[in-house]
Amino acid sequence: MILPYIFTALLTAVALILQGADIIAIAGKKPDLVFIIVVYIGYSFGSFNGQLAGFIGGLFHDSISRSPLGLLTLPKVVLGFMAGMIGRGVVKNTVIAIMLLLFVASLLKGILTLFLAYIFHQALLVSVIQVIIPEALYNAVIAPPLFFIFDRIFHGELERGGFL
Amino acid sequence: MDFLTRHRSIVALISFSLFCIISLSVQGGGFTLTFEGVMSAIVTPFSKGYNAISNGIGGLFSGFEATDTLRENLRKAEAKLQKYESMQIEIIQAELSEVRTENEKLRVLLGFKERVRYNSIASQIVSKDPDNWFRTLIINKGANDGVSVNMPVIAYQNGQKIVVGKIVEVRGSISRVQPVIAPDIRLGVKLQESKIPGLISGYSYNSDFCVVSYISRATPVKKGDVIVTSGQAGVFPPELLVGTVERTELSETNPYQKIIVKPYIDYSLLEEVFILLKNPDKDFFEMFGEVQ
Repeated sequence: MILPYIFTALLTAVALILQGADIIAIAGKKPDLVFIIVVYIGYSFGSFNGQLAGFIGGLFHDSISRSPLGLLTLPKVVLGFMAGMIGRGVVKNTVIAIMLLLFVASLLKGILTLFLAYIFHQALLVSVIQVIIPEALYNAVIAPPLFFIFDRIFHGELERGGFL
Repeated sequence: MDFLTRHRSIVALISFSLFCIISLSVQGGGFTLTFEGVMSAIVTPFSKGYNAISNGIGGLFSGFEATDTLRENLRKAEAKLQKYESMQIEIIQAELSEVRTENEKLRVLLGFKERVRYNSIASQIVSKDPDNWFRTLIINKGANDGVSVNMPVIAYQNGQKIVVGKIVEVRGSISRVQPVIAPDIRLGVKLQESKIPGLISGYSYNSDFCVVSYISRATPVKKGDVIVTSGQAGVFPPELLVGTVERTELSETNPYQKIIVKPYIDYSLLEEVFILLKNPDKDFFEMFGEVQ
């Protein structure tokens, strides 16, 4: 039972380390791998697990980033919850559906982050073009292969929970 | 209790959201910093390990490729050495010394202050900010090496000192550098030619440009003009190179022009930096109440 949590923690740690390096950046833009994991967990294991992954992953993300604690966490919590509400029952596990799910979720996450940054930190509207849209596109493109890998990692748990 | 179990998703959502909102509202408090410290302590060794492994693998392959280049360079260097040895080095040194003395005399005559030289420590970038919204760099030198907050960070390019950013967070063996392309940095600069001062900051999130503000519309600025540090803000020594003017932006409502600057440093290629062991001018910071 504890194994999925350990796998999620490991995946999050690897995602953060990769995001800290420049190898996954294209034209200076990086995907949000932690967010993809959060959406996957919500999408596969329900709202509670999605937002829990969002909360823990977001706290780690905030802690090693320059962002104030909570700025990157709250959007992940909310979108983890929403991905759980949609789930595998509504969005089928096809490449197009996953790409669309990640694109929309990333856009919403970006807008929420911008809104929080506007209230609590510092926000520039140009971020929509420079950060939010490129990141959403990047997340959408790499999500299907990542979801495929995650399906293999969590295969046992998905079968036990009757999610497959 | 039954209600909490039945609606645990909603309860968790409200709890997590409240935590985040409270944390954002009281940012900078002791708990936040301690918590971040703990998280950094967990993640940093992994980042360092990854960096060491990737550098090691990269170094192994580039080592093979570099052997031929090295041999060629050695041959060229030997040829150059022979050429220089044949020149009259003593004469060159004497001329250099004369020019240096004359320069010092002229500086005294013009009433310039004596240039202060600062010690520096070389440091490697071990990680970058994992998010697209922030552009900080993590370097492998920290409080244990004598680094403190607000120390200037520079890099060398073609023998010139170029501004990278300043230290904004220090831990035992690592520090966080806020680069000059970050929108929340403020740095005193001037136009090298006309000496007109301004304030530089990052142009926007995820942009590789900076913007200089508070330069009067009447000031003539052209593409390619050099921007250097003014030394007036108390953090950076004067005359360090920052970048060149890319373009200017004027608006009807603003009495100042915005100068868009392309920094000399390419942050995506930057690997090694130098921390100048210069503490900020205390008087200046006390004046603005920034020293606790």
